Amino acid sequence: MVLDSLSDSLKGIIRKISGSSYIDKDTIKEVSKEIQRALLKADVNVKLVLRLTKTLEDRAMNEKPPAGMTDQDYIIKIIYDELLKILGQNVNFELRPQTIMLVGLYGNGKTTTAGKLARFFIKKGFSTALIAADVHRPGAYEQLYQIAKEVNAQFYGEKDEKNALKIVKNGLNATDAKIKIIDTSGRDSLDEDLIKEVREIKESVKPDNVLFVLDATMGQQAGPQAKTLNDAVSISGVIITKMDGTGKGGGALSAVAEINSPVYFIGTGEHMDDIEIFNPKKFLSRLLGMGDIDALMEAV
Amino acid sequence: KEGNQRVIKRSEIDNQIMEILLESDVSLDSADLITEKLKERMGKLKRRVDFYSVEDELKNVIKEIISENQNRFDILNPGKKPYIILFLGINGTGKTTTIAKLAYYLKNNGKKVVISASDTFRAGAIEQISILGKNIGVEVIKHDFKSDPASVAFDAIEHARARSLDYVLIDSAGRMQTNKNLLDEMKKIKRVSKPDLTLLVLDAMIGQDVIEQANTFAREINFDGIILTKLDTDAKGGAVISVSTEIKKPILFVGTGQNMDDIMPFDPDWYINKIFSS
Ligand SMILES: Nc1nc2c(ncn2[C@@H]2O[C@H](COP(=O)(O)OP(=O)(O)OP(=O)(O)O)[C@@H](O)[C@H]2O)c(=O)[nH]1
Ligand SMILES: Nc1nc2c(ncn2[C@@H]2O[C@H](COP(=O)(O)OP(=O)(O)OP(=O)(O)O)[C@@H](O)[C@H]2O)c(=O)[nH]1
Ligand SMILES: [Mg+2]
Ligand SMILES: [Mg+2]
Repeated sequence: MVLDSLSDSLKGIIRKISGSSYIDKDTIKEVSKEIQRALLKADVNVKLVLRLTKTLEDRAMNEKPPAGMTDQDYIIKIIYDELLKILGQNVNFELRPQTIMLVGLYGNGKTTTAGKLARFFIKKGFSTALIAADVHRPGAYEQLYQIAKEVNAQFYGEKDEKNALKIVKNGLNATDAKIKIIDTSGRDSLDEDLIKEVREIKESVKPDNVLFVLDATMGQQAGPQAKTLNDAVSISGVIITKMDGTGKGGGALSAVAEINSPVYFIGTGEHMDDIEIFNPKKFLSRLLGMGDIDALMEAV
Repeated sequence: KEGNQRVIKRSEIDNQIMEILLESDVSLDSADLITEKLKERMGKLKRRVDFYSVEDELKNVIKEIISENQNRFDILNPGKKPYIILFLGINGTGKTTTIAKLAYYLKNNGKKVVISASDTFRAGAIEQISILGKNIGVEVIKHDFKSDPASVAFDAIEHARARSLDYVLIDSAGRMQTNKNLLDEMKKIKRVSKPDLTLLVLDAMIGQDVIEQANTFAREINFDGIILTKLDTDAKGGAVISVSTEIKKPILFVGTGQNMDDIMPFDPDWYINKIFSS
């Protein structure tokens, strides 16, 4: 039975409405309220949650479940569909020579992810260079240098240079690697100087991909922060880190809803191999606390 | 918040308060509890109320919850020497930066401090804390990359004893609360260093996961208080309220930037102002 794999709280609601063959308006409201709570617990942005459950209510009132599907299952399917719409289908990251710039908030995992991506591309046979453009955090140069050594990537950095743009330009010139990955400092929406710095890098070197690295424990700020960064540098994709923890990633989902970019990878640990291709369905089952959600969705 | 008089329906209070709290990253359970408390407090109200009086009462409720768990502990006069502080937290929350800031704060208050570079695991971690130590003029005890973090701490404590220093601040590698090996390693660091104070470092951007993290660390390692970093950002840091409500540990310091003087003792009034500023 499909419902066996749902989270306890959702199971609870479903149980409540099971038995009644017909789901009325009040019941839909009640279920919607519980789904709201499940989404809020997963760090989905408050306004987005309200929007989603409004859609849920409208659709549940007006649509008939397909033959063979109960009303209860259909309600779950609606919310799942709406969330999947935000995430989109699997988009594979293009395996071609390119320049990638990583941006994101303080300590979310940019430098580590730079190393993971380098290993990923090197395994696929691409020569790869890491460029150290974090001129602010003490030890950032050494961190990336050591990571580059570990994954056998080329490394470019200028230890005492404080002009990040200059380093990036020199670094891009200095290497003939097929894949060039630029690591930048952590920054947030209120730090105008740092936003300006990254915008200048982006405008000057025009990387093929600007990837937003954000961690799965992030709460309500994920959306707004993504928006500011997107306005500054046009984010082309997202990487969600620290998925080995218990953070549900609703913040990341909200960021995606805000900037409309695909998620390409997830980080699942501190080691250089701890990176996986993003799978929206897997991500959603985890977010909603459901086990095997595919069984339900494929039933249609 | 438009105008000076914002009258709302009584039935809307719940939703509005929940929204404020949840948008500040207060945990759902804490937000429920606070909303209940607030309603109790407001007693029988007219059908329409001035939202600002509700907000004022909400501030009072929050202040009470936070203050219940704050103790009067004075970090500048801990009454033991060397006073050993261990820092703990998941990856990237700001432990290393906070240690340097705190060392700087203590030093500026005339104290003698040594730092133990016990993150021997992450690339560049030893270099990071060494550079920070050099910048603030505080000695850092370190071993090689990948060496045993507990023995670095042991050496730092010996160093402090021999020179009669006031504080030992022990850095540690970021660790997920789901990683059993790293939890075991932390237990060992704690067993060997016997800290007088163990502090959990949390990032103000953290969402609902804060309770799971804090509970697991409390159960597995135990800690005495919290430092919340990155409060210079737009994040409201509802974690302060969640941990006060559900974990019942004090907040000792907050981090407000990447510079060495961007740290301050936690002040409930300052914090409440931050939450309600738009
Ligand atoms: N558990 C876990 N830790 C991760 C993951 N990705 C990164 N980290 C850790 O998170 C911490 C911060 O990672 P960094 O790569 O230094 O983050 P950053 O974004 O470069 O940080 P700043 O440059 O200071 O802004 C480090 O301890 C990493 O090992 C992940 O997927 N899982
Ligand atoms: N804006 C801001 N940034 C901070 C604050 N505290 C720390 N940071 C930044 O957050 C990032 C991570 O800080 P670290 O001190 O390296 O974090 P950590 O917990 O030691 O990280 P790991 O050892 O990798 O787990 C760095 O870029 C710091 O500069 C703060 O209060 N405000
Ligand atoms: Mg970095
Ligand atoms: Mg550290």
